Amino acid sequence: MQTLIQTFIDRRGDLLTALWQHLGISLASLVIAMVIAIPLAIWVVRRPRWAEGLLQLTSVLQTIPSLALLGLLIPLVGIGTVPAVIALVIYALLPIFQNTYLGISEIDASIEEAADAFGMSRMRKLFKVELPIALPQIIAGIRTALVLIIGTATLAALIGAGGLGTFIMLGIDRNDTSLLLIGAISSALLAILLSALVRWFQTAKPRHALIVFVGILALLGGGGAYSVYANRVETITIAGKLGSEPEILINMYKQLIEAEDEHVHVTLKPNFGKTTFLFSALKNNQVDIYPEFTGSVLETLGKGNNPAGQTANQTYQLAKQRLAKQEQMTYLKPMQYNNTYALAVTKKFQQEHHLKTISDLTQVESILKPGMTLEFIDRNDGLKGIKKTYGLDVTAKSMEPALRYEAISKGKINLVDAYATDSELRQYHLALLKDNKHFFPTYQGAPLMKTSFANKHPKVVKALNKLAGKISETDMQEMNYEVNVKKQSASTVAHRYLVKHGLLKEGR
Amino acid sequence: MTTAIEFQHVQKDFNGQTVIPDLNLTIDQGELFVLVGTSGSGKTTSLKMINCLEPLTAGKILVNGTDTTTIPVRSLRWQMGYVLQQIALFPTMTVAQNIAVIPEMKGTAKKEINQTIDELLAEVGLDPKEYRDRMPSELSGGEQQRIGILRAIAAQPDIVLMDEPFSALDPISRQQLQDLVLRLHARYHNTIVFVTHDMNEALKLGDRIGVMQHGQLIQVDTPAALAQHPVNDFVRNFFGASRAKNVYDVYVGRVGLIQGYLTEKPSVASGRIQSLDVQATLRTAFTALTDHDYVAVTEENRVVGYLDSQRIVAYLSQHEEVS
Repeated sequence: MQTLIQTFIDRRGDLLTALWQHLGISLASLVIAMVIAIPLAIWVVRRPRWAEGLLQLTSVLQTIPSLALLGLLIPLVGIGTVPAVIALVIYALLPIFQNTYLGISEIDASIEEAADAFGMSRMRKLFKVELPIALPQIIAGIRTALVLIIGTATLAALIGAGGLGTFIMLGIDRNDTSLLLIGAISSALLAILLSALVRWFQTAKPRHALIVFVGILALLGGGGAYSVYANRVETITIAGKLGSEPEILINMYKQLIEAEDEHVHVTLKPNFGKTTFLFSALKNNQVDIYPEFTGSVLETLGKGNNPAGQTANQTYQLAKQRLAKQEQMTYLKPMQYNNTYALAVTKKFQQEHHLKTISDLTQVESILKPGMTLEFIDRNDGLKGIKKTYGLDVTAKSMEPALRYEAISKGKINLVDAYATDSELRQYHLALLKDNKHFFPTYQGAPLMKTSFANKHPKVVKALNKLAGKISETDMQEMNYEVNVKKQSASTVAHRYLVKHGLLKEGR
Repeated sequence: MTTAIEFQHVQKDFNGQTVIPDLNLTIDQGELFVLVGTSGSGKTTSLKMINCLEPLTAGKILVNGTDTTTIPVRSLRWQMGYVLQQIALFPTMTVAQNIAVIPEMKGTAKKEINQTIDELLAEVGLDPKEYRDRMPSELSGGEQQRIGILRAIAAQPDIVLMDEPFSALDPISRQQLQDLVLRLHARYHNTIVFVTHDMNEALKLGDRIGVMQHGQLIQVDTPAALAQHPVNDFVRNFFGASRAKNVYDVYVGRVGLIQGYLTEKPSVASGRIQSLDVQATLRTAFTALTDHDYVAVTEENRVVGYLDSQRIVAYLSQHEEVS
């Protein structure tokens, strides 16, 4: 509970931003869905055949899993707010359309006849008779849609639209329950609050309802206008994948670029999504720069065969060539650290047995007690390959990622798999063993951007190249540790590193 | 007398089936005309063709001499009130708003509308202060249909169409509302076309009655002529079928209508004659005849005729089966 409160206090700025984004996306989607669904429902009331078809269609749309829908939208409209809003609108259509349609079509035939017999025009009948009678049902539909939207909008974080989902994603990614709870609770509270507001609209005096409605519009509009105002100078947008490490890196990028060129303003989009989302965001000019791993380029992004046993430099060169050729992108020089799969032992164990490389493990084969993630044990480029390449004969226990660090610190196991820059390595005093046979593919981070962008911004390129060959694995572990465990801000941690290594002058 | 509504060779088909083959009818201005018939006889369809709720298949209907198809449908309907069997007050509007529906569309001034509403409510015995802002759901069935009638007459239409307006009401409300219709008709002199399946209602209300069967008008006549000279067995039976379940509940007015009244005032002391309303039942009449010789049947305090016990017994023996 205390950590929850502490996290809440530390993150309240971020939470407010996320809440605002969430509200914006949700309300925009709701309004668009209403504008589409209500007139459509009114139109089909006298066309039962159309109504049947449209009800079917909206029901089918409703059954598409939200993740799949977001996935389908990416190739069409890219990532960010637009596909998120489209997806949410699609979900909100059914309840609003259905309730409006039923609300009007279920009006007693005799009341319709009375309205006709008194010579009401179509419009007058609609606004004076039909809509008022159907109103409670329409409002109920809107409330259902609203709750649905606010819940589903948490997925918007997956495609870089921000919102409260960012907290949930981060919570899952960092195994941080407090973050996850804050995201989930806020979104639930938001749903309850807005639902109550909509109900109030139904019963409130028209004048009060109008004032509140205009107020909300003005707030949102003001927010929108402000963001336009804030973005009026041409800004560079830098995004990062989920997690602390990309967030630290993009903060370094920002500080280096702004120090190099005073006329450039850098906007950061941390925790923007996963590899392919970011890559298509870059392609669609929604993002100008993001840090990418050499290994990921070869594995997921570029096309071509990937020869085994490549050195770090060979991997980088191959990735650079492919990106330049296939995507017209520029891949700047990588930093030193290699965030790949690795094997780690406790420092104590390492010193006792004089271990430096993975090959050294063969000498202590008989006393090894490995505990590894199921994923790693099962992969050909994981434990299976290691055993073959290094002639190692061990059997590993499969363990949950978080548990294996606990287990090794308590001496229940003595060898674990890890990512080379995990903050836990620092936290539990573990040492990495050198992959002397280059078995694991190299994952070195380097800034990726479009070639056209690089040509236009030589100062940015120059600034970013200062990081080439910098930051060792231990440096990165330390910084991840400071952000993940000691809860320092990524910006502070990045700044401290840059100053300490003479890349940036103190006191900016 | 000028003609308000005229049916000329009107034909109506539903889904290719002719339900009204050839209807010819003239309704005079200021007349309360009742169309009576069993369900499916085409009476409601005939009514709805007047305000174009049902289109005609052939023939034409003239309203005040003009073919209805040549008048814009909304202005046609604005000059005709309409009262429905289902009452169908607009549930989201107050009593006052319901009554104001047509005057508002016609652009009558707000102040004038409000005044009319108060007058009309008072006229039907509902206190304006209390009832103006009530919702329809807060009213009894009888009260609702009062408002239904006021809604129809608020814009002072020349013609009011009523489609079985009281058939869903309890007997007491029904009688009160029938009286209300007679009173309003006497006061505003508008033309009323009233559809019902209840012959008693028809006899009570109608200046003239049209009996319909299978889409055809079988007989159009005054209540008395209809009662005394039915053109065929259908009319006679229809008339018979409308008798009360219990002979004691038969109206004295009905006995006079069918059996005929003594038109001369009997030459006895006035203390020997008891006055009874046409709506009084035979039960009351028998009680009166235990210590009187005659009953004087009155309608709106005007003597219609006289009955003695022989006449009533004769009526019972000829027209009512004693079960």
